[in-house]
Amino acid sequence: MSVLDFSPARRTAQIEQLTRPSLSYWQDAWIRLRKNVRAIISLYIIILLGIFTALGPVLWQVDPALQDLNQVSQPPSLPKTAILVGQYEPWKGIVIEDFPPEAIEYLEMVDAPMGLRTSDHPTTQRVRLIWNPVHGASGYNIYRNQRYPEDFNDLGLPLGGTFAGNEVSYEDRLSLESRSYYYSVVPTDGFDEYESFSVVEIIPRTSITLDEARSRGLLPEGKTIGEEVSLKFHPFGTDYLGRDIMARLMEGARVSLFIGIFAPLFYVLFGVIYGGFAGYFGGQIDALLMRFADFVVALPFLLFMILFKIAFGIGPGESGIVPMLIALVLLSWPSTARLVRGQVLKIREQGYIDAARLLGGRHHYLVLRHIIPNTIGVILVTLTFAVPFAIFTEAFLSFIGMGVAPPHPSWGSMCNEGVKTMLSHPHELIFPAVFISITVLAFNLLGDGLTEALDSRMRARE
Amino acid sequence: MIVYTLKRLLAGVITVWFIATATFIAMHQVPGDPLLNDKAVSAEIRKNLERRYGLDKPITHQYLIFLRNMLPPNPDFGISFTQQNRRVNDIIKDHFPVSAILGLLAIFFSAAGGVLFGALTAIYRNRLPDIVIMFLVILGISVPSFVFAALGQLLLVNVNSLMGYSLIPVAGWGSFTHMLMPSLVLGLGTMALLTRLMRTSMLDVVNEDYIKTARAKGLSPQRIFFKHQLRNAILPVITVLGPQIAVITTGGFIVELVFAIPGLGRYFVQAVQQLDYTVIMGTTVFYGAFLVFMVIVVDILYGFIDPRVRVQ
Amino acid sequence: MSENILEVTDLSVEFTTYGGTVKAVRDVSFNVERGKTLAIVGESGCGKSVTVQSIMGLTPTPPGKITSGSAKLNGREILGLPTREANQFRGVEIGMIFQDPMTSLNPTMTIGDQIAETLMVHRGKSRRDAFNQAVELLARTHIPEATKRAKQYPFEFSGGMLQRAMIAQSLACGPAILIADEPTTALDVTIQAQILEIMLELQRTENMSIILITHDLAVVARIADNVAVMYAGEIIESGSVDDIFYQSAHPYTVGLRSAMPSNTGDRDKQLLPIAGSPPDLFSPPKGCGYYARCPYAMEACHESAPDPYTLTEGHIARCWLHHDDAPPTDVIHRVTR
Repeated sequence: MSVLDFSPARRTAQIEQLTRPSLSYWQDAWIRLRKNVRAIISLYIIILLGIFTALGPVLWQVDPALQDLNQVSQPPSLPKTAILVGQYEPWKGIVIEDFPPEAIEYLEMVDAPMGLRTSDHPTTQRVRLIWNPVHGASGYNIYRNQRYPEDFNDLGLPLGGTFAGNEVSYEDRLSLESRSYYYSVVPTDGFDEYESFSVVEIIPRTSITLDEARSRGLLPEGKTIGEEVSLKFHPFGTDYLGRDIMARLMEGARVSLFIGIFAPLFYVLFGVIYGGFAGYFGGQIDALLMRFADFVVALPFLLFMILFKIAFGIGPGESGIVPMLIALVLLSWPSTARLVRGQVLKIREQGYIDAARLLGGRHHYLVLRHIIPNTIGVILVTLTFAVPFAIFTEAFLSFIGMGVAPPHPSWGSMCNEGVKTMLSHPHELIFPAVFISITVLAFNLLGDGLTEALDSRMRARE
Repeated sequence: MIVYTLKRLLAGVITVWFIATATFIAMHQVPGDPLLNDKAVSAEIRKNLERRYGLDKPITHQYLIFLRNMLPPNPDFGISFTQQNRRVNDIIKDHFPVSAILGLLAIFFSAAGGVLFGALTAIYRNRLPDIVIMFLVILGISVPSFVFAALGQLLLVNVNSLMGYSLIPVAGWGSFTHMLMPSLVLGLGTMALLTRLMRTSMLDVVNEDYIKTARAKGLSPQRIFFKHQLRNAILPVITVLGPQIAVITTGGFIVELVFAIPGLGRYFVQAVQQLDYTVIMGTTVFYGAFLVFMVIVVDILYGFIDPRVRVQ
Repeated sequence: MSENILEVTDLSVEFTTYGGTVKAVRDVSFNVERGKTLAIVGESGCGKSVTVQSIMGLTPTPPGKITSGSAKLNGREILGLPTREANQFRGVEIGMIFQDPMTSLNPTMTIGDQIAETLMVHRGKSRRDAFNQAVELLARTHIPEATKRAKQYPFEFSGGMLQRAMIAQSLACGPAILIADEPTTALDVTIQAQILEIMLELQRTENMSIILITHDLAVVARIADNVAVMYAGEIIESGSVDDIFYQSAHPYTVGLRSAMPSNTGDRDKQLLPIAGSPPDLFSPPKGCGYYARCPYAMEACHESAPDPYTLTEGHIARCWLHHDDAPPTDVIHRVTR
């Protein structure tokens, strides 16, 4: 062992020393919140949503009510072009003169038609099919399917037919879109089908008539029939009336976020005043006020939302943002009131309130200096969780047609419309649903983060 | 315990009175004359209704008649305005059981799922099952119920077309298979909420001193889990079950609409759209009374599980 | 010399946290004699509870980790056993009671059922037999109306009654050792005396050993046979109760005694607090843990950890003041060689 030094110690460090720097309540909470990755991401999402709602309509100047009939129920895509076509002109079709219209003899079996093709470029205006006549046929049936037919029973939509063996053409104008179609032609004996068919895949070109393009301002100088023009761009696609979903989402966001932010602001404020009053004065006033709050809590929420909404003069089919706001405030304040009352009752018992009172603090001083600052954390958390609640309520009511009514879009009413075409055009439901979900998610996660950030500090204080 | 129950019941009756009054006031604020509104009402029914509700009398009188008609044991909610000669009582009697079964199944799914998944997340804390379940829980809380309903229906359509025949009906009502998807969809949001609550509750209980005592007693982990941890952790979950029943029953409107289920919720929405006053009032008061009753039932049930409430 | 029923040697326990690794217990050794009481004394956070919880296998792992040492119960190693094997001695050979009786019993089970549970699990008794025996156990801890009380829930008991029930529960299987982790801290002073009395009485009748963890020197003086003083995760002095009180050989023990009121001697004597706070166990000092607060600190204390010095048979102190070259002091009892 080395030589030990037994002289008295020369100590410089203070024994009693506080090493942690002192932080204010909000500084500390902010530091905690910043460490919470999910809460911070949520905060950014909320800011982005705010920008989307406020600046979106400035940057994306598309009328949300404008119907683009060329693009109805379009899924999201890159900008599309269309070919310019003239006005629709009826087509006489093809009849082969030197071929018998009626089969000369009845046959058990006939061949499938050969040479099934289009007579010219297929467009969404019309698809013109022609084929070679089949020996023994007295007519043909035409089917359209969206996938390759697997067998005779899988030909798809029956479009129509011809009723002579020498009528070997068909024109399809039935709500065509720019996608793959599988046309099948089946020969008949005039009444019944033979079990033979031929199939052709056709992708019609998106088309627009010259007049329409001109009226929509899509026609640049010098373009004429057969040339391409760019169509209106719908990044999120269009709905069943051909309205731009992105523009509608922006307008809907204004409704949803308006209710989502203002309703909580009002009812939390009312709840704070009511609960604070009850808690601060206590006794009989408290008992009476809280009993009334209990009654209001017992009202079945959604039923009374609907009742109040119609009671405030809004019948079905009319838009009613303000009545919904009033109904939400009338029914939702008690939870905040209870919370704040509990908090105030707790604070009232604290020693520092007694101390302040002994030093001559007046009511308003106690309230402003001690009670409000110590409840503000709880109020903030309540407010954050109230936003998703209000957005949910608005969406729910709009979905059952009791909220914001058409033509005003809200995310909920867009879902309501989208759910009807869910099977064929899921994007009309998915986009508003995703916006509701992300907004609610972001506020929930931010609320969780705030609770943690403020709560642990409160615990450490006690 | 008996005194406690009686007190709760009395408070419940007063609450129902409050609900009825609020309904009455709200309906009298609705603009328009309830009888002029609908042309389908014949003169005879009109006279009948006027006599029954005393619509020519002053409003205070009307209110008293309204209250008297509501009185048990034979509450009379009147006759529907739009469905001729159909009594509101009959509408409730015919369609409420459907809603009740749907709600009951949904409550069952959400409570069982919530407790199970909550316990699982607590056992596998911060490991893969916990992370996966909590991710789903956040989804469950953030996605509106009608989206779940739509997705559930979409799923059924795909399953059926995959199977080649109708394995589970996509909509409608009748057999048990009809009830499966709607009640599951209806219970999802509550299930997510209960899972979250159960998780925090479980983690709180794990840190309790009595769990340390149980371990010091030499009990097996399984016994500690079932006899000591689970029972205590379920308590806070039960307290929120009462209000959640309200959320689920009224949330049933959407599921009934999407899945075309002939429940009371769908009739209520329909009645509101047609401004069918008696149906709206009757259904609202009925739902209100039912929910108040359910909250009391849950409270009493809670008393049986938590000795601290039972003895006081 | 009487027989050692529990021998703990060189026990070290660490906790891994986000802030780093805490060396909560460092090279702790002590023996428990049959029928005797060992008191482990020290201020909050010095590692007393962690020491006994590690022996019982109650430290959560992770974050806790027993890094070295052994604990032999009747010659059998019990440290770090898997749960199934640990459950053969927990509640059977070693019983344990905790600081706060109000939270240490399951609120949703009757007192009787909780005591009976131990008997059902370890002794294979039927529920009825176990419950009857639980009533007897409650009666032995002087709970009045034990039959009625056994059917009640913890919230219907007062703190003192609950601690009695805890003792009854830990005695169910007739353990050789009772570990009492600050059993009286949460109780009123009058109740404290009753609980200690019950523990002493049961010790006499059952010939049971007690490990008493406390920061209350008055309690130690009252019931302990042997004392181990812990500071910053180490035992800095151990010996018989007389050694510790009358021949204190460590400045910390002296400090503790000065901070304790007494009913003898000078009535005007001021109680002296020990200035400062214990060292940060995230990075324990390389020298003596008490260096920063010690009034007799020397340069050597800062440089290297003190060796254990045996003063008399069984009286050991870790302090450089016992080194032959150290200057004499007026209060520390020195080795006379």
